[in-house]
Amino acid sequence: MATKSNLRPSSQRLENVEERPTGTPRVDVYENEQELLLVCDLPGVTRDALGIHVDQDELVLEGRRSAGISATPLASEFRATDFRREFRLPRGIDREKIEAELKAGVLALHLPKAASLRPRRIEVKSG
Amino acid sequence: MFGNDFDTTLRLMDQLRRQVDRAFDETERQGPLHRSTSYPPSNLYDTGTAFVIEAELPGLTDKDVEITLTQDVLGLSGQRQVDAPEGYSVHRQERAPFRFSRSYALPAKVDPERVGAVLRDGVLVITLEKAVEVKPRRIQVKAS
Repeated sequence: MATKSNLRPSSQRLENVEERPTGTPRVDVYENEQELLLVCDLPGVTRDALGIHVDQDELVLEGRRSAGISATPLASEFRATDFRREFRLPRGIDREKIEAELKAGVLALHLPKAASLRPRRIEVKSG
Repeated sequence: MFGNDFDTTLRLMDQLRRQVDRAFDETERQGPLHRSTSYPPSNLYDTGTAFVIEAELPGLTDKDVEITLTQDVLGLSGQRQVDAPEGYSVHRQERAPFRFSRSYALPAKVDPERVGAVLRDGVLVITLEKAVEVKPRRIQVKAS
C-alpha cells in the first residue's frame, strides 16, 4: 500500500552543471555550555573558496580547492576534490553569532547557543 | 624474444608500475588507522624537469613536519595533534591524531641542492629538481 513517504521523488537534490568531484570532509563536533563547535578538515581550501550557509535549521559547508598541480601524474592516492557536507542544526543556536576560523586547511565553526538555552546558575541560599 | 611491439609496451608499462610501487613505500605508521592506504595520502607528478610530491596534511604547519632527502629517497615524518578543546564534551570525532613516517623512492636522480617544500592550507607540495643528467634533452633533428 502506498504511503506518503513512498511517493516522495527519489532525488530531491539539484545537480551541478559543472562536473567537479566532491568529497565529504571529516568533522568533529564538540559542545560546551556556550556553544557547539564543529571542526572540519578542508585541505587546500582558502577563505574565499569557503561557503557556509545557514537556512532555517540546515547548515551547509562547501569548500572549493585551489587548482592542483598541472603535470603528468605518476602515482595518485587522492583526488583533489571539492568538499560539501550538510548538517541539521539543533534548535537554540544563535544564528547571528556564528563565527568561523580557517587555518592550515582546518575550519573551526562556532555555533553559540541562544542565551535562553544556556544553563543558568541557580543560587542556593543557605537558610 | 621480445620482438613483438605489444610485449615491449607491456614490459615498459610493467617496469614503470613497479618503479612507482617502489616509490610509495610505507616504513612505519602508528596511531589509529582511519584510512587503509599509507599516510599521508600523496600524489607524485613529473613536470619533465622536476618531481612534485603533493600530500594532504590538514591542520599541520611547517613546524609539524620533517622532510629529509637521502640520495634519491625522500623521508616525510611528523605528527598531527587533534585539538580536542578543553572543557568540551565530544559528540563526534572523525579526525584522528597520529604520527607518520613515510619514504618515497624517487624514480630518477634529483639535485639535492634544488629541493623546495611549501605547506599551505594543509597541503604540502615538495618540488625536487631532477639532476642535470636525467633531465630530458632536446635532440636537434638536422634537415638533410
